[in-house]
Amino acid sequence: MSIQIENNLKNTENKDIFEQRAHYVPCKIDEDGAANVKKYFEPYVVESPDGDMTATFRGHGLDGTKMTLPEGYRAVVATEAKKPLAEDADRRFQVAGGFKQLVYWNWDKKPSKNDNLVRALDWIDIAEALHCD
Amino acid sequence: MQSLEELQNCIKTQSNSNNFVNCSNVPKICENEPCMLGVDEAGRGPVLGPMVYGVAYCPVNQRSVLEALGCADSKALTEEKRDEIFTKMLTEDDSLNNVGWAADIISPNYISNSMYKRAKHSLNEVSMNSAIELIRRVADSGVNITEVYVDTVGPPEKYQAKLSEIFPKYKITVAKKADSIYPIVSAASIVAKVTRDHALKVWQFPEGLEMNHTEFGSGYPGDPLTKKFIREQIDKVFGYPLLVRFSWSTAELMLKEKAATCTFEEVDDEDSAKKNTKSISSFFVAKSENGAKKRKRHRFFEERYLTMCNAFE
Repeated sequence: MSIQIENNLKNTENKDIFEQRAHYVPCKIDEDGAANVKKYFEPYVVESPDGDMTATFRGHGLDGTKMTLPEGYRAVVATEAKKPLAEDADRRFQVAGGFKQLVYWNWDKKPSKNDNLVRALDWIDIAEALHCD
Repeated sequence: MQSLEELQNCIKTQSNSNNFVNCSNVPKICENEPCMLGVDEAGRGPVLGPMVYGVAYCPVNQRSVLEALGCADSKALTEEKRDEIFTKMLTEDDSLNNVGWAADIISPNYISNSMYKRAKHSLNEVSMNSAIELIRRVADSGVNITEVYVDTVGPPEKYQAKLSEIFPKYKITVAKKADSIYPIVSAASIVAKVTRDHALKVWQFPEGLEMNHTEFGSGYPGDPLTKKFIREQIDKVFGYPLLVRFSWSTAELMLKEKAATCTFEEVDDEDSAKKNTKSISSFFVAKSENGAKKRKRHRFFEERYLTMCNAFE
């Protein structure tokens, strides 16, 4: 099976579409699609002068911090119009937007270097060291 | 503050996802004369809106002022009567010169967040801390407290022991239905109830819902309007606006049925430690095909939840 990504936004005038606001929420949500982030979540995001952030999701208190993607990387949101029924069929995705920065949220715990997402990004540096010529 | 309207305006200026304390000036006489202080709460049970802790205090020998105000069993008073008594507390000289009060408005969001902490913080703890902080605040503002009366729904003994430990100099009485026995607790109860009622009346939804208390009701799970609100005002992802106490079973059950399932990380407890120990029978299980062990990925990847995915083209 192969996965193809089409970027129909390559020549878009709207640069904001690749600089959208993204939140990484410490919770598995069984739902795929649009969410009323602006209405239900962002009114309660509070940022203190020293950069600590708080918010709340489903009654759970969250502690957050802004995170920038590593140099040379950017995040892309891809959507699939229709998932093929056969498991080994080729799949096609369309680029729907992206972001360069995100807010990383922990449940009732200050974000730190030991958080999984931060540690997962270690791989980028290690891979670079291992595979570069 | 001189009227209920001013109370409403004061509540409106506060962010309704945070707690705040609203209090009267300290009557001069309370700094010298020995004072009694009553504590009561309003809105413990409802699934909507804040819980309010109220305290009222006055000189021990000024009990008659409380009686003249009409501070009797607050449960027997109508909402109009409570509003009237509170207005007198804000305006009449006899009251202003003898009776002080304070209210701690505990937001529904704070209640949900506390009950959904990693180390759970029960509603009783939230309540007790609020009462303790209010007593401390009044004492710090210069009031000569000698007697404290507290209304409780739970068993009084433990509560009384805890308060006596924190405030060893005060004569402390914790009792069920204290608000029908001690006028100073009735006064505290009126402060709490009136504040809660008006907080709901002026509730504005940061989520932008164009609704008011005539549509979401009293907040008690039995109120048909509240039931309707809990059933209908659901966002698939976010659940409810923060007027709702997410940690109430009424809300939890409805979200389980109607909103997207959300699973938070499990908090480690003693049980999970046991699960990590291999059972003895696992050592006798036949090895997988060909007797070869499947190669495991390095711990580095496992810890970071990194797995191999398909490459894009």
